[in-house]
Amino acid sequence: MMGWIDQNEFLIGSTLTVFLLAISIQIPLRLGVISFASIGYYAIGGYGTAILMTQHGVSTWTSVVVASVAAAVVATLLGLIIARLNGLYLAMATVSFSLLLSAVAVNGGSVTGGAVGLFGIIGDITIWHTAGIAVVIIILVSFTERGKLSRRIDATREDSQLASAMGINVNAYRRLSFPISGLIGGLAGALAVNLKTAINPESVNFTLVVLALTIIIIGGQASWIGALAGSLFFVWLPEILVFVGEWEEVVYGTLVVFAAVLVPGGVVGVFNDWRHRRSVARERPKVALLEAAAGESDAELTQSRSGKDG
Amino acid sequence: METSEATEAPTYDYEPVAEARGVAVHYGGIKAVDGVSLGLRPGNISGILGPNGSGKTTLLGALTRMVQLTRGSVWCQGQNYSHVKSDRVITLGISRTFQTVRLLPERTVWDNIILSTDVVFKREGDKVEGLVKEAIARTGLEGLEKARPDELSYGMQRRVEIARAIAVQPRLLFLDEPTAGMSRKERADISALMRNLRSEGLTQLIVEHDVGMMVETCDYLYAMNFGSLIAEGTPQDVVRNAAVQEAYLGKHGRHDA
Amino acid sequence: MVQDLLNATTLASIYVLFALGMSLVWGTIGILNFAHGSIFMFSAFIAYLVVQQIPLGMPAVIVIAMVSGALIAVAMQYLVFQPIMKKAKNPHAGELQLVIGGIGLSAIPISFAQRSTLSNPFGFSAGSFETQAYTIGGVIITNVMIIILIAGLGLGVGTALWIRNSKKGLALRALGVDPEVSAMMGIDRPKLALATMLYSGALAGLAGALLTYYFNSITSESGDTLLLKAFAIIILGGVGSIFGVILGSFILAFAEFAVLLYTNGSWVTAVSFGLLFLILLIRPQGILGKKEVRRT
Repeated sequence: MMGWIDQNEFLIGSTLTVFLLAISIQIPLRLGVISFASIGYYAIGGYGTAILMTQHGVSTWTSVVVASVAAAVVATLLGLIIARLNGLYLAMATVSFSLLLSAVAVNGGSVTGGAVGLFGIIGDITIWHTAGIAVVIIILVSFTERGKLSRRIDATREDSQLASAMGINVNAYRRLSFPISGLIGGLAGALAVNLKTAINPESVNFTLVVLALTIIIIGGQASWIGALAGSLFFVWLPEILVFVGEWEEVVYGTLVVFAAVLVPGGVVGVFNDWRHRRSVARERPKVALLEAAAGESDAELTQSRSGKDG
Repeated sequence: METSEATEAPTYDYEPVAEARGVAVHYGGIKAVDGVSLGLRPGNISGILGPNGSGKTTLLGALTRMVQLTRGSVWCQGQNYSHVKSDRVITLGISRTFQTVRLLPERTVWDNIILSTDVVFKREGDKVEGLVKEAIARTGLEGLEKARPDELSYGMQRRVEIARAIAVQPRLLFLDEPTAGMSRKERADISALMRNLRSEGLTQLIVEHDVGMMVETCDYLYAMNFGSLIAEGTPQDVVRNAAVQEAYLGKHGRHDA
Repeated sequence: MVQDLLNATTLASIYVLFALGMSLVWGTIGILNFAHGSIFMFSAFIAYLVVQQIPLGMPAVIVIAMVSGALIAVAMQYLVFQPIMKKAKNPHAGELQLVIGGIGLSAIPISFAQRSTLSNPFGFSAGSFETQAYTIGGVIITNVMIIILIAGLGLGVGTALWIRNSKKGLALRALGVDPEVSAMMGIDRPKLALATMLYSGALAGLAGALLTYYFNSITSESGDTLLLKAFAIIILGGVGSIFGVILGSFILAFAEFAVLLYTNGSWVTAVSFGLLFLILLIRPQGILGKKEVRRT
C-alpha cells in the first residue's frame, strides 16, 4: 500500500490540488455566483509561492501561506467590485480576470519567467501534508452542506428574492464567498507548484478552466463528494486510457458539452435523485390518498368570477 | 428617492399594524402605484381587490421592501421602515407568500417550510420543530414532509408556501393570491385557516382576484385601479361601489384572471 | 499621427465585426457565446486548409470563412444552446449551463487547430491574393484595410439601423427585453435565434478572414484573446446596444494603440481588462447600455 502511494505520489497529489481548485469554484457556484476567478487565484497562489521561494528565499510553508492569503485578498477586492453584477456579466468579468493574470504571467519578464515559467521549486511539502489540508477543507465544507446553512445557501442560489424575504442577506453571503474561494484556490496553486516543482503560463490558462468545469459537471455543483469524484476521474482517466491523454482537451470539451446539455446536476446529482426517489416511493400511496382527499382537481376553479351579478 | 415622514400622515381611529403613507412606485414613465395610503386594522383580515395591473402586487412589494419607493413611506407599529433592507423585513414580523410558487425544487416540503425560521429563530432548535409541525398540521400537509415540490399538486405547493409563511409566527401576514389554482375544498380550508389565524390575533392582508372568496373572508376591503385606491370599506360596501363595479365589470367586461 | 489614427480605426473595425455578432446574440436571445472566439479562429483555419490545396483569391477565402462560421454557429445553436435553453426552468438557471456548454464547445475546434498547426501561426499566403498598398497624402493604406473599414463600419452601422427600424429587428429587441411575452405575441424564438446565430457566425468568419489578411497570420489561440477583448467592448458599449459595440471597439482599439506607442506590445491585453474593470466600477451597464445589470 505504501509502495503504491509512493509510486503514484504525483497523481495523488494532482488529484488533491485539482480537488481544491474544484472546491474553490464550487463555493461561489453554490451561492449562484458563476465565477472562473479561481484560475486566477490558483495562479496567484502558485506564482506567488514560486517567486517567494526561488527569488526571495522564503521558507516553503511561509510562502504557501503568504501566497494563499494574497489570493484571498485579491479575491475580496474582486468581489467588492463585481459581486453585484448578474450572472453572465459576472462570469465574463471573472474569465477576464483569470486570463489577465495569465497574460501578466507571460509578460512578467524574469519575475514570472515569462512564457517559460519558473522551475526548481523544491519545498518540504509532502503528500501527507497536502492530504491533511484537503481533509481539513473537506471537514469545513461539509459543515456548509448540512442543516440551516445549507438551506440558506440553496435559497441564495435558487431564488435570491425569496432568500431575502426569508431574512437571508444575499449580498453578504455572495461577498463572503470571494475570500473563501480565493484562499482555497490560492492554496491549490501553492500546493500544486510544490508538487510539480514548476509553473508556467500554460498551467493557468483557459484549459484549466475547462478542466475545472468538467470536474464540476461530472461531480455536480452541490457537494465536495462530487468535486472529489470528478477530480479522481479526470486525473486518473488519462492514465487508464492513454489515448485520452493525447486528445485530452477534445474529450474534456465534448464531455462538458454533453453534460451541460443532458445532465445539469452532474453524475452525483443523478445519484442523489435516484436515492430520493427510492426513499419517497413508499410515501407515494400516501400522497395519492391525500390528493384525493383534497377534493376536486385543480383544473377547475382557476378562473375567478366576478363578484356580484347585479 | 424622496421619502418623507411628514407626507400627509393620515390618522386612523385605531392603531394600524402597518401603514402605507402616500406610497408611490414609479418605473420610468409607468406609475405602478400612485399615492396610496392605508392603515391595516389590527387583528383583521384586509383585502386588496383590483384587476391585473392595478398595482396591488406592487403595493405588496412596497410594503415588504422588495420594491423601491419612489415617494411616501411605510410604517410598522409606529416605526418607519422605508429604508430597511428587504432581508430585515421578516425580523420585523412581516411574512408573505408570493404570486407564483417559489419553493426550492431540490428540497423537501419540511426543508422548504423550515427555511423561514432559519434566520428568525436562529438559536431555538426545539421550538422551531414544533412550529413547523404546527404549520404543517394547519395547512393539512401531514405525511408530505419528505415530498419534493415537483411531486405535489399545484394547490399543495401553494399550501407549503402558506405553511412556510406562518411557521415563523409573524405579526403580519401578506398573502399574494394564495388560493390560485386550488380546488374548492382547498380554498375553503385556506379561508378557514385565515379566520383561525385571525382569532389568534394575526393581522392579514390578502391580494386576490376571487371576489367571492374576498367578500367571504375579509373584514375590510380596499379596491385599487391604475395604481390608486378607488374605494375602501366593508366588503359589501366596496363591492357595491360604482367605481369598483366599473373597474371590474364595466369597461373590462368580463373580469380578466 | 494620421497613420496611427488610420491603423487604429482599422483595428477598431475588425473588433466591430467580431464583437457585433456576440453582442447581438447576447442582447437578443440571451446567449453569451463563449465559443465565439473559436468560431472566429476555426473559420479562418478552414479557409487556410482550403487555400493550402487551392490558391484562392480573397473573395473566395472570405466566402469560405463566412460560410464555415455560419454553419458552425448554427450547429452549436441547434445541438447545444437550444436544448439547454429548452431544458432550463427559467432563463437564469440555463445561464450556467450555457456558459459551460460554450466553454466546452470552444475547446474542441481550438484543440483540432492546435494539433494541426502545432500552435504555429497560419495564414493565407498560399492564396492568390496580394496586398496592395496605396499612399495618399503621406498616409499608407492597403486594400485589405479599405475592405476592413468598409465591412466593419458598414455592417456595424447597418446592423444598428436595421435593428432599430426593421420589423425583424423589433422582434429581436422584444426578445431581448422579455422572451416570454414575446413568445406569447407570436415571435418565433427558435427560428429567430437560429437566424441570429447564423449571422453572428458569418460575421465571426468574416472577421477571422480579414484579421488574418491584415496581420498576415493568426494562431489557434487568437480566438481566446479576442474573446477577452470582445467582453470589454460589449461591456464598455453596453450590452444590447449595437452602436455601443462600435463605440466600445473604437475606445478599445485607440487605447491599445496608445499603450503600444508608449510601452512595448506585451501589455496590450491588459488594456482590455483594465477598461473592463473600470467600466464595471463606474457604470456597469456600459456607456450606451440600458439593461439592468445588477442583481437584487
